[in-house]
Amino acid sequence: MAGRLSGGGGAAVYTMAAATLVFVAAPLAVVVALSFSEGALATFPPVGFTTAWYEAVIANEEFQNAFMVSVLLALAATATSFALGVPAAYALDRWPVPGARMIEAALLSPFILPILITGLALLQFLAAMKMRDAAVNLFIGHVLVTLPYLVRTVTASLKQVDRSLEEAATTLGAAPWQVFWRVTVPQIVPGIAAGCLFAFMVSFDDFPISFWLGDAETMPLPIFLHSSMSKVFDPSITAMSSLMILTGILAVIGLEKLVGLRRAMSV
Amino acid sequence: MTTSALETTGIASRRPMLPRSLVGLLLLGPALAFLMTFLVLPSLILLGYSVLTQSQAGDISLPLTFGSYERLVTSAAYRRVAMTTLRVAFFTSVVALLLAYPLAMVIAYGRPLASRITMMLVVAPLVVSVIVRTYGWQLVLGNNNTGVLNWLLSALGAGPASVRLLYTEWAIVIASVHVFLPLMVLPLAASLARINSSLNEAARMLGAPAWRAFLRITLPLSIPGLIAGLTIVFSLTAASYVTPQMVGGNRGLMLGVLLEQQINTSFDWPMAAALAAVLVAIALIANVGVGWLAERHFRGR
Repeated sequence: MAGRLSGGGGAAVYTMAAATLVFVAAPLAVVVALSFSEGALATFPPVGFTTAWYEAVIANEEFQNAFMVSVLLALAATATSFALGVPAAYALDRWPVPGARMIEAALLSPFILPILITGLALLQFLAAMKMRDAAVNLFIGHVLVTLPYLVRTVTASLKQVDRSLEEAATTLGAAPWQVFWRVTVPQIVPGIAAGCLFAFMVSFDDFPISFWLGDAETMPLPIFLHSSMSKVFDPSITAMSSLMILTGILAVIGLEKLVGLRRAMSV
Repeated sequence: MTTSALETTGIASRRPMLPRSLVGLLLLGPALAFLMTFLVLPSLILLGYSVLTQSQAGDISLPLTFGSYERLVTSAAYRRVAMTTLRVAFFTSVVALLLAYPLAMVIAYGRPLASRITMMLVVAPLVVSVIVRTYGWQLVLGNNNTGVLNWLLSALGAGPASVRLLYTEWAIVIASVHVFLPLMVLPLAASLARINSSLNEAARMLGAPAWRAFLRITLPLSIPGLIAGLTIVFSLTAASYVTPQMVGGNRGLMLGVLLEQQINTSFDWPMAAALAAVLVAIALIANVGVGWLAERHFRGR
């Protein structure tokens, strides 16, 4: 494979890719650079070097609250999507379910439907049901957006399972549950873990669902950040943003270590 | 799928307690029930709202009316917003495609280290909130000299505040390309990686120059990934809210922002529901319609 990008054409491809990666990294790098600025405003160029904004942000109670809301919400949504999505993906792969293709498309449909509208539909529905607890409403909405990630990664992992190993175990006298736990599960665990990690990040970063369903008391981090941006103009915004960038980088490293990014993204 | 020995002789014959398809449905049940209750039903109700009438007091009820849709089509202001939306979505998907192709090629065919680094840099923004990324573009595109781009240009001697991009349609296109680029690169790279490398080698051995082998073999065979990327980027851009709201300003009003205004400023639910129906229709046409056409086309050949 290594030889397929060679010669002048290959160099051109590498150059264009490198230029695009600068475009990809630039806005994030600017945010991080300004988070260490001693200036009173988050404006370019940064002045001096200080970690004071980080100290201020970490000590900020509203930030702590929003962070806890986001982490708990993401954990709860991921765990629930796991509980709903793993059996569903397993059934789609292993059982002769009537209309399996339709059902799979339905389970993955939150991918293609605009999330802004999914959130609005849910807001209107939960209001009509007289459900006023923002924490519960956010939880339902976040399960909705994380579920398809679990379904997709588990389905992809199951397709890669070596069926001959399962057959060998069965032939050697293993009971079906033993085959499942000792042969199938170990093969799909990394894929499922990657799916969970990705689902966690999708929930942690979500704006459109939380925008409709959150309230002043239960405000996830992206909503808190968005509302701070129109009120606060000092570099503490860039410090909060940098912490979110750091979380994202850690997640990508996690995915790379778990299964390799290309497999995690089915590339 | 191959029918394995496990399926024919295993579980079913040993434990004939439940019909196999029933077990499957039981495993699917909770996920499907959740989806029906919290996605399908609410979406249908919202669609229903778009053809109902809202009273002065805010109650939504009969009579049925297509008034909201009619206003969408006939009002010049709404039409302008719709055109802005389609234009931004179009340019975003085209620019994203042009930028994504070299990245996808490096991921699929590059040296292992280059491929890994590219993959990480492409995926990392995907797990950084769109709020943070769009905020980064606010800082880069700032219209006065504290914007990074203007600062850079003036340092290069272009004079102070020489570009005014923030709060224009182009700012939305630039930021949206950044937000959705990974969703273009990933299907494209997957598509490129699946192409049998011996096809290219054969073409090269038979004397085709690299650019011709690319145009005649790699490019046509990557079309499925290309279409997948284009449709997803187009439909997500068309329905986006955060990016146009943060960098678009008044001149870059898009349908998603208009929808939010209907709810939070005008309290006009039927109109918001009609806008939602239009955005869902765009998403379904782009994803399902184009996918179906493409599949038919390729099967025909």
